[in-house]
Amino acid sequence: MTAAFRAGPRPARRPDVLRRLAGASLPYQLLTFTVFAAGWELYARGWGGLLIPTFTETVAATVELLGSAELWRAMYVSNQALVLGFGIAVVVGVPAGIVLGRFRLLERFADVYLNILLVTPMAAIIPLLMMSVGFGLASRVILVTIFSIVMVVVNSRTGVRQVDPSLIEMARSFGASERQIWTRVLLPGALPAIMTGIRLGVGRAVTGMVIVELLMVSTALGGLILEYRGLFKAPLLYGTIVIILAEALLLISVARWGERRLTRWAQTTTARNAR
Amino acid sequence: MGSDDYGKERALIEIRGLGKSFVGQDNETVEALRDVNLDVGENEFLTVLGPSGCGKTTLLKTIAGLIPWNDGDIRIDGTPVRGPGPDRSMVFQNFALLPWATVLDNVAFGLRMRGVGRAEREERARSLIAMVGLSGFETKRPGELSGGMQQRVGLARALAMRPRVLLMDEPFGAVDEQTRRLLQEELLSIWEEHRMTVVFITHSMEEAVLLGDRVVLMSARPGRISEIVPVPLERPRSSDVGALERSGQYVEITAYLWDRLRDMHEEHRPSKVAG
Amino acid sequence: MSALADHHSTRAAPARKRPSWRRLPAAPISLAAGAAAWELIGQLAGMSFFPPLSTVLARLADMATSGLIVTSLADSLVNLILGFAISLAAGLVAGVAMGRYRKVEAALGVYVYALLTAPSLVFAPIFFSLLGEGRGSIVAVVVMYAMFVIIINTASAIQSVPVHLVEMARSYGAGERQVLLRVMLPAAAPMIMAGVRLGVGRAVTGMINGEMFIAVVGLGRIVTQAGGRFDSAGVLAVLLVIIAVALGAVALVQAVDRRITRWVPRTTRGNQ
Repeated sequence: MTAAFRAGPRPARRPDVLRRLAGASLPYQLLTFTVFAAGWELYARGWGGLLIPTFTETVAATVELLGSAELWRAMYVSNQALVLGFGIAVVVGVPAGIVLGRFRLLERFADVYLNILLVTPMAAIIPLLMMSVGFGLASRVILVTIFSIVMVVVNSRTGVRQVDPSLIEMARSFGASERQIWTRVLLPGALPAIMTGIRLGVGRAVTGMVIVELLMVSTALGGLILEYRGLFKAPLLYGTIVIILAEALLLISVARWGERRLTRWAQTTTARNAR
Repeated sequence: MGSDDYGKERALIEIRGLGKSFVGQDNETVEALRDVNLDVGENEFLTVLGPSGCGKTTLLKTIAGLIPWNDGDIRIDGTPVRGPGPDRSMVFQNFALLPWATVLDNVAFGLRMRGVGRAEREERARSLIAMVGLSGFETKRPGELSGGMQQRVGLARALAMRPRVLLMDEPFGAVDEQTRRLLQEELLSIWEEHRMTVVFITHSMEEAVLLGDRVVLMSARPGRISEIVPVPLERPRSSDVGALERSGQYVEITAYLWDRLRDMHEEHRPSKVAG
Repeated sequence: MSALADHHSTRAAPARKRPSWRRLPAAPISLAAGAAAWELIGQLAGMSFFPPLSTVLARLADMATSGLIVTSLADSLVNLILGFAISLAAGLVAGVAMGRYRKVEAALGVYVYALLTAPSLVFAPIFFSLLGEGRGSIVAVVVMYAMFVIIINTASAIQSVPVHLVEMARSYGAGERQVLLRVMLPAAAPMIMAGVRLGVGRAVTGMINGEMFIAVVGLGRIVTQAGGRFDSAGVLAVLLVIIAVALGAVALVQAVDRRITRWVPRTTRGNQ
């Protein structure tokens, strides 16, 4: 700061470009990534063993995996459970949350269970699922649903509850029927929070999908991880992890994009607060 | 019924013995209104003034049919009030605009609730938007408008119903002083052109005198009418508000209202209320 | 909060004529109803994977007297406390840095968000290869679960400290350190604590998931073992303990939160 003052007015062009670069996030993000990748590479070359691949090996393995039929077959199997399980979570969770948000008494009694579900590590019920439903698609679907539905329910409930009561009063003063209050005020007003719930739910759904495969079923993507670990194919193991992470982030980004598009009106008022 | 009303032209709004109490937060009964008797004439501009907590908003909402009451009777043109109706429309203190809807849709909201067809309601909404000076903003959303513009939307929405009674709940309380003055002048000129019955709640003595034919003074705990002060200022008033405010009559009435209000505040010193 | 509500209802009760069932505490009733339903369905259905509550509690008593639960619980709590302490320290430092310095946020923000939303357990194999099959890996999984939500909340808490408070402190001659310690951290405390609360919940999840994956110690290991033996009563018994740990940990953080953020008006607290 002081240096810039002392230097006095400079030719405008260069500092301008520099400043704009300094103002943008991308260079810093790239820097972080470079430091991370370089650190990884050096560590793996220096101290890594059979189990720790280098950064470059991982990149190569990731590319190789993306071209392999095995990975895509695993992707297909994993995502079947994801799509079905998350679909159920949304179809059941949104109405359930809305009902809880509108009917206080019901909510008071359901609240304690929602709190328990929110903090309980769901993975612990995987053994029960295996015993009751078996190791097939059904138990993976159920687990994905259980993982994601709480987020959807809780956020939908909050969404309905936080709709400004004066809007409901306003609608009634203009003669709105109960149905019109739902379709014209409550649901549009709750939409941003419902979409947030769906976005957070997607994240938890992916988590559920991976966890069940890692901990119990050993099929598909989770199965690949365990297989590569058993065979000491470290680069492929890391590559699989990278791909799972990429899928999770991609899905969440899509959900976020959808959330933004559908609820643009809410951003003008809340975006600043959210930051 | 009130004997003092004989001989006058028939009142549009008749309120007889209105009482309203509700259970407060600490489980104690709060008497919001006690034995309120009031007649509002056809095309009269009535302002209601009182300290906060005197039940003036409660009074307005009972007339609107938004909240039930315990004792007494409210009639509009001889018909008892049973709920919200198209003959009354309300302008809200916090605007109560749907943040996800455009200006046009917000103004057309009441018409839509009453089942007016799309073409007609948009035409009527557009002409009202023009009347309040918001032409060109039809597709904007409330978040993009200033407070004054938002309340113009709220006013247009109410006027679009072509109500016989316009109920205004401290409509200009949430905007800045300068905007408030502009809105007051505009409301006056709109009212002078399209006469209708207005019940206008305010906590500003100046506003009460500037706008009203009569000022209803309410006192708190329990909320009741303590005095009705006629305002014999000449109409139309919108042409030269400045001159009006310098007139002796205006100053005199305002000072009188403040004397009465100060007495009420004295009765309810914080030390007494806190217990 | 709950203590306050109780006090309220006892004082208010005589004032009302009929004891309104709306005023009854919902949570205990709801839990009792749930327990009764569990017992009943368990008895009637007779399914091996859904034993009645009484069987589960008997199993829990067995496990407790044999010492299995106690040692595992102790192991788990050590994992939890270590992991959570690291998450808290690192999370606060990183969060304050991100909230205060734009460049740090630019450098780290995307990655923190990504790691917050990513399925954290997939990192377990990596920790496994780095730290070996032991406590270190489990603690690392706990950190992976808990840290990022603390960072994000701390950063946005620091960013949303009202500018006028900072300007006020500056005008009285406060330096950077004083601004941070005397103004920003206290002002940001409620939101930071919200993140810490979320963090502790996630830490418990990380603890169990890590222990189930790297089954060497803790409650997660006995869940996996009981599952392997098809001992559903054992699984549910441990699950009850896990829920107790989770609720206890969150309650502890909330108690600390209440002490720290006593100045926050009650009306705004309700919205959190």
